[in-house]
Amino acid sequence: MSSGMPTPATGAAGAADGRALGDGPGLLDTPKQPVQLGSAQGSWFSQVGWRHIVALLAVAFSLFPIIFVISAAFNPQGTLSSTTLIPTGASTENFTGLLERTAFKHWFINSVVIAAVAGALSMFLSALAAYAFSRYRFKGRRPGLMFLLLVQMFPQFLAMVTIYIMFTRITELYPSLGFNTWWGLIILYMGGALGVNTWLMKGFFDTIPKDLDESAKVDGATHTQVFFGIILPLVTPILAVVGLLSFIGTINEFLIANIFLTEGNSKTLAVGLFGLVAGERNNNFGIFAAGTLLTAIPTVALFFALQKYIVGGLTAGAVKG
Amino acid sequence: MADVVFDKVNKVYDNGFHAVQDLDLDIKDGEFLVLVGPSGCGKSTALRMVAGLEDVTSGEMKIGGRTVNEVSSKDRDIAMVFQSYALYPHMTVAENIGYGLRIRKMPKDEIDRRVREAAAKLDLTEYLDRRPKQLSGGQRQRVAMGRAIVRSPQVFLMDEPLSNLDAKLRGQMRSEIAQIQHDLGVTTIYVTHDQVEAMTMGDRIALMKRGVLQQVAEPQEMYENPANIFVAGFIGSPPMNMALCRLDREGDSLVVELGSQRLRLAPGVLGEQPGLERYIGRDIVIGIRSEDMEDAALTKDAEHAITADVALVEALGSQIMVHFSLDARAPKDEDSQLLAAEQGDKETAALHSDEVRWVAAFEPRSRVRVGQQITVTVDTERMHFFDPETSAAIRD
Ligand SMILES: Nc1ncnc2c1ncn2[C@@H]1O[C@H](COP(=O)(O)OP(=O)(O)O)[C@@H](O)[C@H]1O
Ligand SMILES: [Mg+2]
Repeated sequence: MSSGMPTPATGAAGAADGRALGDGPGLLDTPKQPVQLGSAQGSWFSQVGWRHIVALLAVAFSLFPIIFVISAAFNPQGTLSSTTLIPTGASTENFTGLLERTAFKHWFINSVVIAAVAGALSMFLSALAAYAFSRYRFKGRRPGLMFLLLVQMFPQFLAMVTIYIMFTRITELYPSLGFNTWWGLIILYMGGALGVNTWLMKGFFDTIPKDLDESAKVDGATHTQVFFGIILPLVTPILAVVGLLSFIGTINEFLIANIFLTEGNSKTLAVGLFGLVAGERNNNFGIFAAGTLLTAIPTVALFFALQKYIVGGLTAGAVKG
Repeated sequence: MADVVFDKVNKVYDNGFHAVQDLDLDIKDGEFLVLVGPSGCGKSTALRMVAGLEDVTSGEMKIGGRTVNEVSSKDRDIAMVFQSYALYPHMTVAENIGYGLRIRKMPKDEIDRRVREAAAKLDLTEYLDRRPKQLSGGQRQRVAMGRAIVRSPQVFLMDEPLSNLDAKLRGQMRSEIAQIQHDLGVTTIYVTHDQVEAMTMGDRIALMKRGVLQQVAEPQEMYENPANIFVAGFIGSPPMNMALCRLDREGDSLVVELGSQRLRLAPGVLGEQPGLERYIGRDIVIGIRSEDMEDAALTKDAEHAITADVALVEALGSQIMVHFSLDARAPKDEDSQLLAAEQGDKETAALHSDEVRWVAAFEPRSRVRVGQQITVTVDTERMHFFDPETSAAIRD
């Protein structure tokens, strides 16, 4: 698709022939032969050109809401009805309003801490489980794997009533693990993602040659040393992927968090921001848009931080010549 | 350093496959023992039981006099070189070699000293900071060796360590490993399916077939006195020439009916192997090595000779390999069939039961041509005899 890159530069308004001119090699291949040029151009469009149009449509489709939200966040009037795709003015009023009039700072910290801790813990726990499922042969291994998969097929909110009742009781007995606390929610999220993550990781663990474990064992390593010293460093790509997915899933989670977190300062971003537009969608829309923009920052930051680990091929050269 | 003893060791896998049967093997302190046999015969299984990577189903496994059936790998003080090398991809060469020492919490400067020493011995010094994937196959092999020798373990275990190298490198590493083992004097069990490695490297060879030990002997002894047809056919290249014949007495000497020909055996043969008496008038399997046949034009001995049409001539410089067919019967016992399957595409597999293909090694002075009819002198005193049913060698 590299030939698609210059296309937007020639202007989205450019028609098919505009793109044909951008496609330099096609013209250079058949110079001095105007007869063939015509037919080459026709076939270029039917073979390659239409893909560019599809790609442009897809890009426009996905960029539209983002541009709209950015425009809304900087819209001085701060209402939905006054927001247009191309901004009519710019101010940071929505951002200052967000920070001064709402508990956004609390929500932000709550969200980042809960997502980071739940993501990290679930990554670690599923790595442990995946190691066992990948390396050991024990009774109940296959049923265990199947069960993990099966449980994932039910949506989490099916258990909502049960969870609610359980946590009502837990809140009475151990308030620090109950409603409106970080730990209560973290524990819930950790369990929720464990199954998928374990499956994902087990698949990756299976690609690490067993010879490496055995070699380390003969060299004198214990199971723990094999896990931390040999296996974990080799599965960093999948750890990064799983960590990122859990983080995104957790920071965006709304259903459970909405039931769990009812006090103003304990809310997460998803719950808090929703509260802004729940009643009066129109008036707070600018502030809401500003909030969502800021919410994207930790996710994007984490992605860039982990990007270099999300490359496979680290195991190449482990075995054979 | 220690001796390794298999005492009636059995291995039955979870799926019921009996991979090693009643293995009795006594490997002496400092010995280089080569465990050889066709692929799938249970060599790796036996080796992995020494390493503690497979459980022993029954019998006793001893290292240095200590029963290790229930001892985990890390406490057996052994080092293993894997066929795949199993280098840790995220560590440098130095870290790979030093891993076992780091695990044992050896002081850093001592680790460094030992790693450098091992690297120097294996010509790896300039690669110490590289990752395994930046090395050639031969260098990776050396790193795997380095990881083993740096620990000065009680026993070295090597599972086909050279099979991923090209022929030239393999020859070079073969002598290098043998040299290192000799210098260090560490008890070594070396698994291979290559009989050349077995012959050239080991103090003794243990040959296995389908999970059962066939013979344990020094290389030359195994070559000269194979215990059965399988050993005879597996050790040596080209493989021993064999045929199923009828044994008869003619006057005071023995004669074998080799298809339509009769080959008179030297008078001493019966005296040397009185056991042959029982086979007179019956079928017997004879075996003769290539180098024990010679062009009759050179030996001027037509008494103990057969005639044949030359099918193929390979000049090797020091020898001329002459291939010819005889209208004799091929042995039909289990060992011979297994060997035929093992040698696969080679001529043995294409055998009809009333034709055998033999290979003789003639002196380079011989001037035989393809298609020519030749007379081949057979050194019948060096002929081997086997029972056609049990395939065991007939001695005494
Ligand atoms: N984990 C296992 N489960 C069942 N059978 C096995 C297992 N490992 C090896 N085998 C079988 O045991 C036999 C011997 O294997 P192995 O010791 O690896 O042979 P070799 O190293 O001599 O080629 C083979 O037939 C193989 O199929
Ligand atoms: Mg093997």
